[in-house]
Amino acid sequence: MKFRPLSSKGDPGTRQRSFGFLLRFVLFLVVFYFLVAAKPVNDHVIVPFTGWIASASGTVLNALGEKATVQGTEIHSGSFGVNIENGCNGVETALLLAAAVLAFPASWRHRLTGFLLGFLGIQVLNLIRVVSLVWIGRHRPALFDSSHTVIWQSAVVLFGVLIFLFWASRQRPRPANAEEKAGR
Amino acid sequence: MFDSRAALRLLIGFLLALAFWFLFASAYERVLAPAAEFLIRLGESPAVTRLEAPGKEFLVKRADFPPGAPYPGLPSPDLHFNFVLLGALFALPPRPWRQRNVTRFRLAALCLFVVHVVFLVFQVESVYANNFREWSAAHYSAFARNFWGAGFHFYQIAGRFAAPFAIWWFFGRSEPLEPAAEQARGPRRKKKRSKV
Repeated sequence: MKFRPLSSKGDPGTRQRSFGFLLRFVLFLVVFYFLVAAKPVNDHVIVPFTGWIASASGTVLNALGEKATVQGTEIHSGSFGVNIENGCNGVETALLLAAAVLAFPASWRHRLTGFLLGFLGIQVLNLIRVVSLVWIGRHRPALFDSSHTVIWQSAVVLFGVLIFLFWASRQRPRPANAEEKAGR
Repeated sequence: MFDSRAALRLLIGFLLALAFWFLFASAYERVLAPAAEFLIRLGESPAVTRLEAPGKEFLVKRADFPPGAPYPGLPSPDLHFNFVLLGALFALPPRPWRQRNVTRFRLAALCLFVVHVVFLVFQVESVYANNFREWSAAHYSAFARNFWGAGFHFYQIAGRFAAPFAIWWFFGRSEPLEPAAEQARGPRRKKKRSKV
């Protein structure tokens, strides 16, 4: 994938499309936020999903000999315990990816494929993140705070952004008139 | 695919931004706090809020708090660690140290600073509106409580990650769409050289 700097003096069409993408991206992000913040969605989708992440992480930790126990969204290993909350379940990066993929001009089939594969990749990385954080929390507690917030959260989000950029670079641009028709 | 050089630049950018953030986070908070305090006090009569940044948290000190009452402390890294994402994204293009990219990065960082100030205001107002029970109910309407609370929650869940991406896209994006643009142009024709 080659990167071509987008000139500020670029053609107005490119700038307009770029700005249009940003507007759609923010709009989708707000819509998705309200969707996942709604109590029924949180209680019946997000929390069980987070519980599944905790359970999968517990399985991996036990396979690594860490003797972890899982209760709902909490993981305990030795004297260390952690509760997986929103922001730590990969959902926020998935929202970002979904909003960007939907805002980008592409076919619905490509959008769906891109999102599903991206979601899978994000969750695999997030699983590694949770497992490593429990290990750090138990064996190197002084490093937990910075690893939890700054390093791992940034890495997961950056991974989501890269998945989007890679996916976007493989999309055929729609002809200009097709985009106009789609906008009507 | 995403080539190894771009991956290396990204990694180096990430590590440099991380080191920069660790070094200057406390100093940055001492700039953020008065800026947000200024905005909060604009909406207060009398102006009673005072924000302090002793490190790793913002202390909210109100002049009308009862004497001896504990000051609410708001975790500060959660607010501004997304600078690391911005730094990494600006390291993506080839030769990221070029003047144009550096200038755009500075503009983008300024924008991110504004985002941090605005959402620190949201964070403080969200605490005022929702955490002091009777006092909150007496001073904030139901709409205001939801507005400040949801605004800051949006930042926590989606905004803090989306902000660096959106700002980078606006200011400094290196368009990763070259293959698609090539396809759109169609096959290149070789120029015929006329023989003299």
